[in-house]
Amino acid sequence: MNKPTTQTRSQGGPPTRARRAAGKRSPAPARTPARLAAFGPAARLRRPRVLAVVALCAAALALPQVLPASDVPVLVTLLLSAIVVTGLSMLMGYAGQISLGHAAFYLIGAYTAALLATHGRPTWLGLAAAPLAAAVVAAVIGVPLLRLRGHQLAFATLAMQLILLNVVGQQEWTGGDIGLQGVPRLTVAGYEFSSATSYAYLTLAALALVVIVTRNVVASRPGRGLRALATSEVAAESAGVPVVAYKLAVFSLSAGFAGLAGGIYAFYTGYLAPGSFPVLLSFEFVVMAVIGGLGTVWGALAGAAVITLLLQELNELGTAEGMPGSAPAVLSYAVYGLLLVLVVLYLPRGLVPSATAWWERRRARRRSGGPHDDSPAAGAGAGRGADAGAAAGKGT
Amino acid sequence: MSEFVQYLVSGLAVGCSFALLASGLVTIHRVTRVVNFAQGMFAVVAGLTAGSLLSAGLPHGLAEAVAVLTAGAAGLLVGVAAVGRRGTSPQSALIVTLGIGFLAYAVEIVIWGEDPRSFPGLGGAVEIAGAHLQKQYFLVIGAAALAFAALGLFFTRTLLGKALGACASNPYAARAVGIDVTRMGLVAFTLGGVLGGVAGVLVTPLQSLSYNSDVLLITNGFAAAILGGLTRLGPALAGGLALGVAESMVAGYYEASYQSVVALALMLAVMVWRASQHTALQEEASL
Repeated sequence: MNKPTTQTRSQGGPPTRARRAAGKRSPAPARTPARLAAFGPAARLRRPRVLAVVALCAAALALPQVLPASDVPVLVTLLLSAIVVTGLSMLMGYAGQISLGHAAFYLIGAYTAALLATHGRPTWLGLAAAPLAAAVVAAVIGVPLLRLRGHQLAFATLAMQLILLNVVGQQEWTGGDIGLQGVPRLTVAGYEFSSATSYAYLTLAALALVVIVTRNVVASRPGRGLRALATSEVAAESAGVPVVAYKLAVFSLSAGFAGLAGGIYAFYTGYLAPGSFPVLLSFEFVVMAVIGGLGTVWGALAGAAVITLLLQELNELGTAEGMPGSAPAVLSYAVYGLLLVLVVLYLPRGLVPSATAWWERRRARRRSGGPHDDSPAAGAGAGRGADAGAAAGKGT
Repeated sequence: MSEFVQYLVSGLAVGCSFALLASGLVTIHRVTRVVNFAQGMFAVVAGLTAGSLLSAGLPHGLAEAVAVLTAGAAGLLVGVAAVGRRGTSPQSALIVTLGIGFLAYAVEIVIWGEDPRSFPGLGGAVEIAGAHLQKQYFLVIGAAALAFAALGLFFTRTLLGKALGACASNPYAARAVGIDVTRMGLVAFTLGGVLGGVAGVLVTPLQSLSYNSDVLLITNGFAAAILGGLTRLGPALAGGLALGVAESMVAGYYEASYQSVVALALMLAVMVWRASQHTALQEEASL
């Protein structure tokens, strides 16, 4: 995953610093020797990977039909989160920028779609305008905000969301704290999306689009530039990367994804209020991105899936008979907190990169256990084992 | 005039609590380079603990002291998670403190429920220039002034305070002269917890707190702290007071619901202005 093979070399940069940053802040996988090594057997790996993608797509297409009707809304929630988290993961993992206010863009998308639709415009126009509005807002506020870095940007985005929530809650035309009701169903070319299943397919299509765009951006020249600037803006700038423009572009793009998800959400629920987009939702997206593994599409999908399903389970457990009324909240907060702390401390690269590293380590061990193999992959594989071993030693 | 005095004093009192939160943030950030997202949680824990202890019959003073110590213990726990493990980068530690904030939500809901709580502070009021002022305002201002004076003395006059300062200015050199940097990080977190706790017990009689009040507390505290670049106490104090007064004036003369917007916009403006003062090169060189 995410292994555009050539860029490992094209990125010079100060090596120690790059390594340090790669290990800690942005787990840009391509920079470690492990990833260099995977260069060789990439061709062999490709086939099972394609098979996995095909299988996943087939499963995703079948799911809305196979699942019991009561579970389809969970699937829609999961997919919507996955769309947002894919963008956020790209922003955090590749551009090294933290956003604690991504639910704000979700809100902007949702309100754009809902306002257009309730004012008599065609609903498809609302859906198309949702990501655009979010991206434009991000581009505008990004000009001052993206001068900030690290924790400052985190707080700035959080502040932006708090301001937006406050303002939306005061305005007449947004319906104030009560919100907007009676958003019509989405209708495209005469087909009305009315059932949860139809929204599941719509969201799936949107997610597919988002994933394809993300993969292409990441594998492109700007993607390499982003990875470089996540490590050191100064080094990237001196190497000719247009730092400001790229940061702004990826910020807008990830906001656009969130806006798209928000637009679908508006038509899906038919009701919006500022309370549907709390600050906690922004934190939830960050939790999903971090737990799944920053800077990987698979990580974003896995993080969204794990957290959504976990929350669903906890909710069922918490609302079971004999549980106190606050049990769902307590359980979900506790599990959130524990998961986040444990993953950041013990699996800092996130679930998916850690799992793939483990898998490749296992393969390497099995291969090096056999008769001497002098293909370049084997030599590199040993290096990979050592690197992974060091990482494991650090983990214990 | 009487209105103005009223808004000024109540703004100063609230500003003092922001300044105390900010000082905790600064103390922790100076020593460990970690921005502690759980700082608002310390205030919530202390405020709610003090309320429970008071209703359990403990006298004023003792209840608050125990609550502040509880917040200090919470600070130590957060510190152990955030910087106890070697090699945790400040960025990761920020996310760890975010996670601890969630854990704290769970614990707080179990103990205190989800509704906002408060407890009676110093009763009574005084008339100054025609304004009717609660005595609690003056208690908050006085206590905050004392806390800041004590903090200043601690950092300049005591060995432990100087050791913390050494870690802040150069962790490597501090280690070379035999200072245990990790332990100093834990000390800083405990101190941050105590400062957050002081803010909490002071502010709870003025505005009731619930488990999720911490987001607004931390953003206000951060807004105050950022004035001093998260490293200096003086500007953090000034920032907290300015923020409190500004919010109070907006709420009084304009619209109460916009007060937090003004504070947040102010913080954004300050951050962007500060960022324009130095380049990425300077920032990366100072890491």
